[in-house]
Amino acid sequence: MRMSGLVGASALAFILSSGAFAQEASLDLVEPIAEYKIYVSEKLAKLVEDTTAFTDAVKAGEVDKAKELFAPTRLSYEAIEPIAELFSDLDASIDSRADDYEKAEADPEFPGFHRIEYGLWEKNSTEGLAPVADKLLADVKELEGRIASLTFPPEKVVGGAAVLMEEVAATKISGEEDRYSHTDLWDFRGNFDGARKIVDLVRPLIADKEADFLKTVDANFETVDTTLAKYKDGEGYVTYDKLTDDDRKVLAAAVNTLAEDLSTLRGKLGLD
Amino acid sequence: MLDPKDLQRSSYHLNRRRLLAGLGATAVGGSLTGAASAETMHHSVADAPVANAASQLDSVPHLGLHQAGVVNGRPANGMVASFDVLASNADELEALFRTLTERIAFLTVGGSVPMLDPKLPPADSGLLGPIVRPDNLTITVSLGASLFDDRPWLAPLKPRHLQRMMRFPNDALDADICHGDLSLQICANTQDTTIHALRDIIKASSRQMILKWKQEGNVPVITPGPDGRAESARNFLGFRDGSANPDSSDVAEMDRVVWVGADEGEPAWAVGGSYQAVRIIRNFVERWDRTPFGEQERIMGRTKMTGAPLDRRQGSEFDVPDYAGDPEGKATPMDAHIRLANERDEASKAHIILRRPFNYSNGVTQSGQLDQGLLFICYQANLERGFITVQQKLNGEPLEEYIKPVGGGFFYTLPGIRDASDYLGSSLIAAARGA
Repeated sequence: MRMSGLVGASALAFILSSGAFAQEASLDLVEPIAEYKIYVSEKLAKLVEDTTAFTDAVKAGEVDKAKELFAPTRLSYEAIEPIAELFSDLDASIDSRADDYEKAEADPEFPGFHRIEYGLWEKNSTEGLAPVADKLLADVKELEGRIASLTFPPEKVVGGAAVLMEEVAATKISGEEDRYSHTDLWDFRGNFDGARKIVDLVRPLIADKEADFLKTVDANFETVDTTLAKYKDGEGYVTYDKLTDDDRKVLAAAVNTLAEDLSTLRGKLGLD
Repeated sequence: MLDPKDLQRSSYHLNRRRLLAGLGATAVGGSLTGAASAETMHHSVADAPVANAASQLDSVPHLGLHQAGVVNGRPANGMVASFDVLASNADELEALFRTLTERIAFLTVGGSVPMLDPKLPPADSGLLGPIVRPDNLTITVSLGASLFDDRPWLAPLKPRHLQRMMRFPNDALDADICHGDLSLQICANTQDTTIHALRDIIKASSRQMILKWKQEGNVPVITPGPDGRAESARNFLGFRDGSANPDSSDVAEMDRVVWVGADEGEPAWAVGGSYQAVRIIRNFVERWDRTPFGEQERIMGRTKMTGAPLDRRQGSEFDVPDYAGDPEGKATPMDAHIRLANERDEASKAHIILRRPFNYSNGVTQSGQLDQGLLFICYQANLERGFITVQQKLNGEPLEEYIKPVGGGFFYTLPGIRDASDYLGSSLIAAARGA
């Protein structure tokens, strides 16, 4: 095909298997998806770098330093979660929570970021965490490798904006994600940034036809920004318990509305 | 001219009249044993309860080779309650089984509630008034692995495949709603009847077992189509659930799929029983409702409106998809739920299970989302070949993003109470005594 020199194999496969409308949309998506892939690789490089420093601190027994690095390290993971989650085995070993295990924190299978978070904050210690840290770093590197060779499915990329909001709506707005460190607002930041990036990448494709839609979505992102800004502390955020009930409701409504609105983004782009 | 439906209805009403007569005759004496059981209008376990057909006088016989509540059509309400058992020897376990047998005999047949000295607490909770009507009640008793494992005198008699429910990759098991020594599956037309039965049994067995967890659910009531056949009930994802269930009125098929026979290497006492797998599976309904319609259908492998397979969208839910004619998954994706669960080939016949699920709606999560899902219950003659194999085939399916198994357990459903002189679990007690 004449266009095959221009488009990636994945987009081509998609075009061949889809209807005319999707074909047109899919061609337009080639550039945003290529750009998104660059965004994800940058985040992954940062994740590997930050996780190396974080796990080094854990293994050196530097509790305070490890605590300081915990939330910023997670930021890059949270921003690209919809892609990271395509590998459910790695997502479970990197980011699962105590609730995923029958014996909760005491479960020997409980791994990853939150296992280390539990040790650092609840026990104020790095005892026994060295193997967990080694495994976490290995998993993060494995994730980087697998994503590097992944063909990004367009519907997963575009759908990712909504998935990020679903994550916040289902298990984060309650403050149960980072329950030991209460650094949830950092994770929120990562999730919102990741969702906004996707909206911004496809924005030119729907700017004319969906001006009202974009206006609503932008307004809700603004609400989130304004609310989060109140809790800014240095490079990051204060602990989640400082969030007032009123602000939590404002955030919850914005997140639910964003989840509703962004769930239509795939369809608006003609993606099945 | 009478069409078959009218015939069915008239025989139903006849039974109902006989029951009413029985009720009148025995209202003072206590038991309704003389009444004939109402013929069930359900065709199979998967069918939804039939609209306006349920009566308080419907009854399911509690005596037989097998326990009730397994191959009988589902009434609108179901519950699983799990208990820890205290019995430390065969005598104490027999006492518990006899208590359960006695309560099941009363509750499923019905009768008047004894009146005690008003200075004492009443004998019955009174939820159903002075006369307990059967209301299609079944109480199915099953045993967990821990009952055997924790008792050296019982351990050698554990059914071959009975084990503590393992964690599957997508599970987030909450220890507070998992496992148990003994499960009761309680089903009836109305919720009041299931709750009444549970409270009655808890009161009667307070020295013998303690409640660990329970989960209630229900299935929508559906009006049968022109052919008299009721469609499968919908789950809380909005899809028909149970279309591929085996025909529970086919005795030979149930003997193959559900009931443990003499030739399966199980302990002799266990013949006539079945393996029960219970899973409390939360559905992320808000997220599901925000998922494109086409994707929902591809995840499940069925059309949402009718339940027809995706390779014959104009058909019905009972049409069998032709996967051999769709080897690349163009019509039904290779990882669609129904395709992974049952490939519809010769080999997959060994893994057929009888599903008997109920929908549940509990409350609101910490995050302000609905805590709803499926109280999945299934029966099979071989737990490894049945549920465990099917779940392993489903591991990693796209549906996992929308569901989270959080509780449940594996149990062994005891053989039936053979006659009025028998009691539940008598074969196990006899074996435990080495008789």
